[in-house]
Amino acid sequence: MSASQASAAIDFKAVADRLLPAGSSYDSCLACGLCSSGCPASGLEGMDPRRFIRMAMLGLDEELTSTPWIWACTQCKRCAQVCPMNIDVSVLVGYARSMWPEEKKPRGIVRSCHAQMLSDSTSAMGVSPEDFVEIVEETAEELRRNDERFAKIEVPIDKPGAFFFINQNSREPAAEPEEMRPLWKLLDYVGADWTYGSSGWAAENFCMFSGDDAAWKAMVEKRVDAVNALGCKVWINTECGHSFYTLWKGVERFGLTANFDYASLVTYYAQWIREGKLPVNSDWNTRGIRFTLQDPCQLVRKSIGDAAADDLRFVARTLVGEENFIDMQPCRSANYCCGGGGGFLQAGMNELRHAYGKRKFDQIEATEATYVLTPCHNCHSQMEDLAHHYGGSYRVVHFWTLICLSLGILGPDERKYLGPDLRDLGLPQ
Amino acid sequence: MTKSEPRRITADVAIVGTGIAGFAAAVFCLERGIRAVQLGHAGALSYTTGYFDLLGYDRGRPIADPWAGLADLGATWPGHPLARLPRTTIERALRRFTEAIGDLGIAYVPPGGTNVRALLPTGLAKTTLSIPATMAGGAAALAAKKRTVILDLVGMVGFSAKEFVANFAADWPGLTSARIGFPDLDSGAEAYPEVMARALEVRGTRERLAERIRAVVGGAECVGLPAILGVHAPDRVHAAMEELVGLPIFEIPTMPPAVPGLRLRELLEQGMPARGTTLVSQHKAARAELRPDRIDLHYRDNFGEVVIEATTAILATGRFLSGGLAAERTGVRETLFDLPVAQPATRGDWHRDDWFDPRGHPINRAGLLVDDDFRPLGSDGSPVHPHLFAVGAILAGQDWVRQRCGAGLAIATAWAAVEGVARSTG
Repeated sequence: MSASQASAAIDFKAVADRLLPAGSSYDSCLACGLCSSGCPASGLEGMDPRRFIRMAMLGLDEELTSTPWIWACTQCKRCAQVCPMNIDVSVLVGYARSMWPEEKKPRGIVRSCHAQMLSDSTSAMGVSPEDFVEIVEETAEELRRNDERFAKIEVPIDKPGAFFFINQNSREPAAEPEEMRPLWKLLDYVGADWTYGSSGWAAENFCMFSGDDAAWKAMVEKRVDAVNALGCKVWINTECGHSFYTLWKGVERFGLTANFDYASLVTYYAQWIREGKLPVNSDWNTRGIRFTLQDPCQLVRKSIGDAAADDLRFVARTLVGEENFIDMQPCRSANYCCGGGGGFLQAGMNELRHAYGKRKFDQIEATEATYVLTPCHNCHSQMEDLAHHYGGSYRVVHFWTLICLSLGILGPDERKYLGPDLRDLGLPQ
Repeated sequence: MTKSEPRRITADVAIVGTGIAGFAAAVFCLERGIRAVQLGHAGALSYTTGYFDLLGYDRGRPIADPWAGLADLGATWPGHPLARLPRTTIERALRRFTEAIGDLGIAYVPPGGTNVRALLPTGLAKTTLSIPATMAGGAAALAAKKRTVILDLVGMVGFSAKEFVANFAADWPGLTSARIGFPDLDSGAEAYPEVMARALEVRGTRERLAERIRAVVGGAECVGLPAILGVHAPDRVHAAMEELVGLPIFEIPTMPPAVPGLRLRELLEQGMPARGTTLVSQHKAARAELRPDRIDLHYRDNFGEVVIEATTAILATGRFLSGGLAAERTGVRETLFDLPVAQPATRGDWHRDDWFDPRGHPINRAGLLVDDDFRPLGSDGSPVHPHLFAVGAILAGQDWVRQRCGAGLAIATAWAAVEGVARSTG
């Protein structure tokens, strides 16, 4: 892949100068290489963040506009986090992506963005509003029929004035609708006043990754309008990383008006546990099964920061037991990207993606944990794929699965991500 | 995230800076139960060798006894910040800080009465006071001239065993070198120490590397490796590797981007909040206000403005690289409070003619003047604010690079400032 026809209209040095934090200067870049040392994409396609920034300073704009490395950089911002000058290569990569002719961009990313534009759903998997409503209603009806504890559970859609507007990654309605049930059950358990929207419900945004600002803006506008129209107070992003970042960043970047606050579901898991509304504990973990945790870059480093990392750990430790929890290193805001972000997972560059993910695989292996918890679908899929590729034996699991497991309300067909050690735990004999 | 702003954080003390000085202040506040908020972005901490210097050199000559050197400072370096502190204070500060780092996860050889000659990646030794346990074997091997094999790794550009051995040849006859490939990173492409160190936290990688080391050790009594023995738990990785190889192993710090600084940074950024410090690690203070009854620091995160309202503040922002001082056409400026900076009269006086002049350059001694409580002085010679303190490399009257006194300066002045904070906050 190359973008030989891409014009070199972008002046990277000018863009880079404009983006520098106040008081910083590229003249002060020591070329120390902390960015490259800490970047899992270093060395792929013969490029790394230090080289990228030095080339920008030298005016090698055409080379930077055409290197396919920009699709291997996941825009995770770890380079900026470790740089004493706070130089953020990921923003330059975003500009470079925007300069590629659409037909040269990785098809998987572009296709997902196009799918989002097909209907009011904004679903990258092309699930229409009608299909979404039907799938949700059917799945809810099954739950009411099969589990008497939830015989009266409500799954509201387009409920005006609900306190929470909750989004939904398309993977569940499109491919594994039963995985929505644990989320509904715990929302029912805490008595949350919530709703889905038939419009703007989807929790993914590949239009940011494809470097298409107009489409990114259109996606965020549709979602913001949907929440504003229902008059919800808080928009909750479910267990997904980048859709959170793309929304608040999009509102800021495009000057939109959101009449609501943004929150991650993780923040509310923690709050509900502290308030006693979600009385989870680790009593079920009698065999001392060991868990680690993946901090999604888009949620922690790029959005909320270590406050989200604290909440993630509080929830994880409560769920699995302090003694059974082990952090991967580095972690929190310093965590490495898994290599599934930035559209990499959808870009069809599997060999590079696996090479990128080797650091994540090593991090997980070093913990010797049996399970990795993460509230992000791209992290989830990438870490599962890394286990297959490198021969790891760990499994990756959603928080909602463990929460319902701990509460004793996890159904038998809601356990596809659990191993044999937990597949029957807590089920009626 | 709510959109109400500005959000406010209150604290007994705001510590501005996340280098050794800032973290030392945070450690000492924690011990005294002082509520601290610490603010800062990645600075020069990542560049450290991991050695904690107190006073290594005097006008270009190595110092064996740093305490005797400090006693002379009053005469040789009038106004040197370390000359203002009694030995007992400096000793206590260094001991408590290295103990705290040990508790957090990196064992240090306790600072003692004399300097040691510790190894540098180019095959030189420097005098320093306290070194990480993983590197202590190197100083001992040099002192005893042990038969040692130094290993470097295919693809690691910042360290050459051959160069190390060549430069030490006269001083250390039993030294040999060999090159090995690191498991899965031996294609010849550039391979960073950080990546190797993370990989060595995996048991299987340790076993594979140990096998490659055993194949080349020959008759050596001990093995020197560039610093790659884990980032998060170096002492555990070090012990495991010694057991697998069957010989004592020591680490040699490498050129940046290197592991020892990352270790300290990640350890402190993770360990201090877990113990109670409020750490804002991704941001620099954008501006500050000195009020009669408190000091306000403003910064912005992704969701708007935040104000830290503190009873006292400790300025630990470092010098030019870390942004505490700015060198401009018209002179040197302190960047946050615009405090007066003691400096040469004109830019033309900043440097001597000979770059390598062992006396150093006047610009290197520029910085903040402080009183005996380490409160920065205004142009009238009295403290700018009763509860504002300044510590570390930003202080005037020292040349930490040439004197090799950076860690001691940072840690001891942080101790003194925290004593002042304790008095201010009752």
